[in-house]
Amino acid sequence: MAADAPHPAFEGYATEAVPQAAVGSPGKDGVLELTFAATADGTRLVHDYATVPFHVSGTLGHDPHPEADTVFVQSPTGGVAQGDRHDVTVAVGEDAVAHVSTQSSTKVQTMTCNYAAADTALRVEAGGHLDYVPEPTILHADARYLQDLAVDLAPGATAVVADVVVPGRLARGERFEFERYLSRVRATGPHGLLFEDATHLTPAESDPTAPGVLGEYTVYGTAFVLAPDRDAADLSDALHAVVSDGPARAGATALPNGAGVAVRALGDRAETVQSTLHAAWDHARRDLIDAPAPSGRKY
Amino acid sequence: MSDAATLESLRLADSFLPVGTYSVSYGLEQFVQDDRIEDADDLEALLATYLRRQVGPADLVALRAAHAAAREGDLDALCAADRRLRAVTLAAEFRESAQQSGDRLLSLQTDLRDDPLLADYADRVAADESPGNYAVVLGAATGLAGVDEREACLLCCHGFVTGLLGAAQRLLSLGHTDAQRILDALGAVMTEAVEDSADRTIDDMTPFAPLVDVLAADHERAERRLFAS
Repeated sequence: MAADAPHPAFEGYATEAVPQAAVGSPGKDGVLELTFAATADGTRLVHDYATVPFHVSGTLGHDPHPEADTVFVQSPTGGVAQGDRHDVTVAVGEDAVAHVSTQSSTKVQTMTCNYAAADTALRVEAGGHLDYVPEPTILHADARYLQDLAVDLAPGATAVVADVVVPGRLARGERFEFERYLSRVRATGPHGLLFEDATHLTPAESDPTAPGVLGEYTVYGTAFVLAPDRDAADLSDALHAVVSDGPARAGATALPNGAGVAVRALGDRAETVQSTLHAAWDHARRDLIDAPAPSGRKY
Repeated sequence: MSDAATLESLRLADSFLPVGTYSVSYGLEQFVQDDRIEDADDLEALLATYLRRQVGPADLVALRAAHAAAREGDLDALCAADRRLRAVTLAAEFRESAQQSGDRLLSLQTDLRDDPLLADYADRVAADESPGNYAVVLGAATGLAGVDEREACLLCCHGFVTGLLGAAQRLLSLGHTDAQRILDALGAVMTEAVEDSADRTIDDMTPFAPLVDVLAADHERAERRLFAS
């Protein structure tokens, strides 16, 4: 197997053969493509392609925004396994409004060899808006997971991209027992790179609960409100006011290069982090597209 | 290193250097305000996090790239490292502080030295084409002065820690001996941070201290504060 790792920290893992279905075989290399376009009847999913473990059952029409379309990506599997390489592409056309989420948490299973990776590319055309707010990622003991998310915005496009990571099956007392988690979020606009954020956790090598890192908290999430053509300072102050008294320890700050606002939240449970980020999302969505955030109904 | 380079490195590492270190705390003020830092041990642990999670994986990577670019006279590479560091620094206050002290160091160095690269870089910064981060200006200044890259990295760590210790002395009842003890104890962590930055390209800057970011966000809106960050 070729050393195909997109980050040096994963190169050693990449050389390890996977005893079950090999890397790249059916079921291991899930592909998901979703393309939304604005039509006379509002936004429609005009192209979709999904291979195992992704499944798309169609769209849902209960978004509070009258033009918006919604896809909840499903998985018939028990989660992400060693050797999995997932590839997700979401494109939102001019003036379209789309919401993409997952139906349930992404569970990254225990691994004994190799690693799992997901590559996500989001593109929003002029005047379009995308909410990419998947359910949390849960890292089981000994998991090795590399997640790359790139979002590219045309002039006048906006997006909300959120990510929550849960460092184990907390209810059974498992926390920070995974081996490695690297998640990178990169945003670009017409003039190139806007910002890049990376979460790199290796609990055995470097204490994630160190002061200033996660401290006394376990669950960590960020919502990026991407709106390069807006005044980020005002939105940052407004979002900070929304989240600073919430159930999680959270704050908002203006992103580099006028990209928008980052809202970071830390908590003891996924629900507190999610509800805090949802409050920020709700405020941002009213500001950006004049509609509240969806309620969280997944059917 | 030549005597001139050694003297230059001592001058740049001195808290006497007028770059506004007295006005920045990089979130430390908010940690004290939040009762998260009450004694010298708490302070040392937080400074270790800064070195391991911010300075090593981000500032030093940019400093090394700037150092190499300055030695090679590559203005575009210098600015690329500068812009990259800004793009990975998510806390708005930290970007402002890094640019303000960078700006002061850059004008000081262009005053003292007649170097075409530094002058061209200052023009780019003035034209808003490059942010002028402190770590990048320091990398360029040390590279041009013949200070070794590794020394320059250690110098940056030392300057960062002494700056925050100075801030801590005004925020906490921290004695001079305690401050020296922390500075001494963090030597190994500084070396660790320098090692961590050695094999990274500017595309692999991964600062990660979310609780620092959250507290910095509170600090941005704090009504009463001594420090700009």
